[in-house]
Amino acid sequence: MCSNWPTLWSLLNGSTGHLIAPEGAPGSVSDSLVPIIRFDHASFGFPGVIALKDISLSINAGEFVGVIGPNGSGKTTLCRAILGLMAPIEGHLHIFDCACDALRCHHRAKIGYLPQKGVVDRNFPVTVLETVMMGRYGALGLFTRPGSKDRAIAMEALSHVEMDKHKDTALGHLSGGQQQRVFIARALAQQPKVLLLDEPTTGLDMTAQHNVIELIEHLHDELRLTIVLITHDINMIRSRVDRLVLLKTRLYAAGPPADVLKPEILSQVYGKDLVITEKDLILVEDYHHHH
Amino acid sequence: MIELFTYDFMQRSLLAAAMVGGLCSVVGVFVVLRGLAFVGAGTAHAAFAGVALGYLMGWPPLVLAILFGLATVWITGWVEEKGRMKLDVSIGILYTTTMALAILFIGLMKTYNAEVYGYLFGSVLSVTSEELRVIGGLSVLVLGLILLFSKELYFIAFDQEMAEASGVPARRMFFLLLTLVALTVVVSLKTVGAILVFAMILIPASTAYQLTSSLRTLTLYSIVIGVTTAVAGVVISATWDVPSGPAIVLLATTVFFISVLFSPKRMRRATPAHAH
Repeated sequence: MCSNWPTLWSLLNGSTGHLIAPEGAPGSVSDSLVPIIRFDHASFGFPGVIALKDISLSINAGEFVGVIGPNGSGKTTLCRAILGLMAPIEGHLHIFDCACDALRCHHRAKIGYLPQKGVVDRNFPVTVLETVMMGRYGALGLFTRPGSKDRAIAMEALSHVEMDKHKDTALGHLSGGQQQRVFIARALAQQPKVLLLDEPTTGLDMTAQHNVIELIEHLHDELRLTIVLITHDINMIRSRVDRLVLLKTRLYAAGPPADVLKPEILSQVYGKDLVITEKDLILVEDYHHHH
Repeated sequence: MIELFTYDFMQRSLLAAAMVGGLCSVVGVFVVLRGLAFVGAGTAHAAFAGVALGYLMGWPPLVLAILFGLATVWITGWVEEKGRMKLDVSIGILYTTTMALAILFIGLMKTYNAEVYGYLFGSVLSVTSEELRVIGGLSVLVLGLILLFSKELYFIAFDQEMAEASGVPARRMFFLLLTLVALTVVVSLKTVGAILVFAMILIPASTAYQLTSSLRTLTLYSIVIGVTTAVAGVVISATWDVPSGPAIVLLATTVFFISVLFSPKRMRRATPAHAH
């Protein structure tokens, strides 16, 4: 896999898009862009188990970035790293220009996070507004109780996702798509600079999937948030993101969708699981799992 | 019956029951929501081993109960955090080990000691003024800390990783919660006993869980149920001359089953709210 990188890099660098190169490599990100998340030859994992190896990648303010790759490719590890829950075992990770060590990063409140669906107990006794108010807790810090200003911020976040009328409804009474909207509102209540979404459409019906993705696109456009969207569903996001990041333990490609979604690149990552239909739909093994 | 309330011992018992009932029901909310039910049981038995060692060696039993309880919850928390062992396995091992130690310490005592058994089965009617002051002091400490860190404790009970990712010091809050569970168990030992204190923590919050879908009302209902059943249990105990611990717990259990039968959650069909 490692030996594939120079060949791939040459391929990507020769294309028309402004692909993101490893730091210092030719074609690095333009100076006019402001990188707010920067992986510099960073590897993550545990002794003997490398989940992500030698990642060099910059994500710039205001970008909409999709992260794709097969199961076990390191997408969730990348997510945990950005959240400051894992420190690199090699290399560096800078978030908002600050070296970010696991469990110590004070920038976490600036990253709104939507975890994978299914990690939260549906019957947990919490209302919609109580859930969204939790988004304020990290920013408030210890010893400070949320006040009317925090409640107003939470209500504004709920209105962004069109769930303000359900503020007193129990979270467990909502549909899957509605719960995702509430969790997006919780992330927005942090007043984040980055919205990090881990498989936001998994487990939702087709209509709800479409609505959630449209909402994310709307938030990107309206609030100018930097979006990092981790997904299996390449077709759902390909026309909406500025850049795609293709992972399989290593960074295989990063750039505009048209440059990343090339059969010769995808086949190296997905192998025999890759099917490209006549209508240019990209079907991979993971796609079948979730549809 | 009214005359009963004029006795000093009865007033002390009612006050102790109300404080312990209130304290256990507040801590119980976080124990139930965070899924730490078994930790409460394990801590109670560890604390009892501390009491037994205290009486064997002539050392202050409550201090040793606190030390044993804290050691148990901290080891459990550390093991879970490191992912070396499942929480129920580690607490199960510590639970049985500390119970074995308690039996060993009691066996080593040269004479029968009724006070030790008081901590095992609870004897709220014999609570002294000094014990009442200790219960009051520790209750104020535990409830004060919960009030101070309630938003963080609710968040880690909801989703610890999400809390950590949002900038809440979730790991430290988890250890604070474990510490509060240990202190609550020790505070309650004399009143309901090591075997039944676990029920006092678990049942009021579990009952409230059946009745509401809001964190705030869950806590409120849990306190009302905890205090009411504890005080009523003491009155039943004194009136009909039955042991106080079982009276409190069996009354709370009855209320729990009634709440299950009439739970709005159980009765309501799952009908998603209409989205826009």
